[in-house]
Amino acid sequence: MIFERKPLDIDKIKVTSGEVHIIKDRCKGCGFCIEYCPRDVLELSEEFNIKGYHPPRVKNPDNCVECHLCEMLCPEFAIYVTKKEDAKVSAR
Amino acid sequence: MKIGVYVCHCGGNISEVVDIKKVMEFAEQQGDVALVKDHAHMCSDVARKMLVDDIKEYGLDKVVIAACSPQFHGRTFMGTVEKAGLSPYVMEMANIREQCSWPHYYQPELATKKAKDIVKMAIVKARLDEPLEKKTSPIGKRVLVIGAGIAGIQAALDLGDAGFKVYLVEKEPSIGGKMAKLSRTFPTEDCAACILSPKMADVPANPNIELLTNTEIESISGFLGNYDVVAVRKPRYVDITKCTACDKCAEACPVVVPNEFDEGLSSRKAIYLPNPIAVPHAYVLDDKSCLGLFPLACSKCYDVCDAGAINYDEKPERINFTVDTIIVATGYEIFDPRKKKVYEFAKSKNVLTALDLERLISLEAEGTVLRPIGRRIAFIQCVGSRDELVGNEYCSRICCMYATKLSQLLKRADPKRDVYVFYVDLRAFGKGFEEYYKRAQRTGVKFIRGRVAELHEDSHTHKVRLKVEDTLTREIIESEFDLVILSVGLRPSEGTTKIADTLRLIKSPGGWLQEAHPKFRPVDTLADGVFICGCAQGPKDIPDTVAQASAAAARAIRLMNKGEYEVDPITAFVDEKLCSGCGICAGVCPYEAITIELKDGKRISRVNEVVCQGCGACVASCPSGAQQQRWFMTSQLHAMLSAALGEEV
Repeated sequence: MIFERKPLDIDKIKVTSGEVHIIKDRCKGCGFCIEYCPRDVLELSEEFNIKGYHPPRVKNPDNCVECHLCEMLCPEFAIYVTKKEDAKVSAR
Repeated sequence: MKIGVYVCHCGGNISEVVDIKKVMEFAEQQGDVALVKDHAHMCSDVARKMLVDDIKEYGLDKVVIAACSPQFHGRTFMGTVEKAGLSPYVMEMANIREQCSWPHYYQPELATKKAKDIVKMAIVKARLDEPLEKKTSPIGKRVLVIGAGIAGIQAALDLGDAGFKVYLVEKEPSIGGKMAKLSRTFPTEDCAACILSPKMADVPANPNIELLTNTEIESISGFLGNYDVVAVRKPRYVDITKCTACDKCAEACPVVVPNEFDEGLSSRKAIYLPNPIAVPHAYVLDDKSCLGLFPLACSKCYDVCDAGAINYDEKPERINFTVDTIIVATGYEIFDPRKKKVYEFAKSKNVLTALDLERLISLEAEGTVLRPIGRRIAFIQCVGSRDELVGNEYCSRICCMYATKLSQLLKRADPKRDVYVFYVDLRAFGKGFEEYYKRAQRTGVKFIRGRVAELHEDSHTHKVRLKVEDTLTREIIESEFDLVILSVGLRPSEGTTKIADTLRLIKSPGGWLQEAHPKFRPVDTLADGVFICGCAQGPKDIPDTVAQASAAAARAIRLMNKGEYEVDPITAFVDEKLCSGCGICAGVCPYEAITIELKDGKRISRVNEVVCQGCGACVASCPSGAQQQRWFMTSQLHAMLSAALGEEV
């Protein structure tokens, strides 16, 4: 059965959360981080960086669970994640 | 040739309609008939002794029994004839009950005339019968049990204890099925987990049982004594021999999803223990909700696993094995109450299913309170059962009693509660059920006969307003409740439907698996060596399920224990002179018993007589009359037709 209801204990479950940092000027706009982020945290921004590329922008900051996938995939070492100290309540 | 004809009165079932004397006189006039007798009950021991004596005394070589359907007593009389030293296949039954006296009850004269025709047809067929001999085929001691709920577990344990090799296949990561979810069991109120978990633990401890969890059946081919099974083990990503169930992985996992075991009322992580009493007691990684394995996204669980049990590189594994018999115990699912829109399930906060309540009560007993249950509680019976509007005509058989159980558990936990059960009919049919229902009434649960017509949850107070007519007092009741429980019915599980297709099992109305005979072969199917038990066959409670599972195990043992089994010689065979090798027969054969082979440069159809079930499809399809079926030869069918049409034969 597909569950339509929200679990009753959802507000009590703690999960790790991360903060995404983007070094805009290193980015060459490949979009890997946006494409592969399993939590749909990022999107392409309109702005231009120093090289003339569109760097990503954080769209849903609360969705990040600090998995570091973007950090590992980025060919330019332009993105990294730090752990937020207060483990947040899961939002789903 | 000497044919003996026996006409049965069937204790009036036949003789009240058909004039037995006239039928006997008619039979006496037929050629080759040496003896005609009648008896009140041909199937009785005394009549069958008479039959044996007659065969020996008069030297009969063919026998016609004019009685009931061969489906009903064919085997009985075949055995009797065999006892007298004849081939069981020189016995013909003339069905003058199901096909004559019963349908033509109000036309006795015409019925008598028809009975004569039926007897004549049997006589002309008997004349052409050949004394076929039964064959035996070797059989091993390996069984496949599909589904490891309480039915599958019980069947597997019985077989394992008896020394048979059991492959127990379960698609979920833990065995235990639906019973593991229940709080207590009616009518004795045993805690479900307490009585189930020792049985679950016995499964891996039994040296004869090979437990395959997280595994689904892909295909099954072959026949009794030689079923080739292909199963696919889905990756678990956790080594069950290394996992210590320490929960560190689940703690680290950042993905939260609804927990199926608690019907989505609680949540779990993407790596989780299926349930507190899970067997095998190991975690499992749900790759559908995991952040990603390819490319590996997170690996937080791997980092914290001290036991080194996690392996992200596991792939689905195909497992092949051969078994002799199969027991299907694929169980049920609960009716999805969203289909019954009037009850506003999943839209209302305070409308739950009975299985939800089972989980809430179980979790409360374990010390977890997910939500308050409230003071005023109503149960609505027959949700998805006995309801043609949702296409389910059948009674789900357990809802009356589980509502009786749950209602009094709630009432006893807090006597100040008002607990109402709105029922259509209250069916307390099992051992101790009526007494249990009385006990619920004494506890103070109010049972009101009436189907709930309207249900509405207030958007502010979240109280649920019900409107229902008490059909005993004709009063209209309108009242508010804190919690409404839908007593949902059962429906066949997805696995049950799937396995019916794989094994070509017949389904009864409602989609449940059909047994070979509802009274005398309740766990057999029409596929040789395939047995069914538990809720796959129809809704039933735990005692009935366990009894049926043991019965299925016993029936399987009965087939395998001797090391060989008898095969009916009623199979198709090919007249090679006539066969052109066109292959139409191979195409229509539902058992894949026919192959087209080259013989001296000529294409010829060949029937595997062990696989052939004698359905006759190939015979009917053969354009050149090369396929023939023993005991139902074309010459015999022509003779019967001529007899029926009054032609001289």
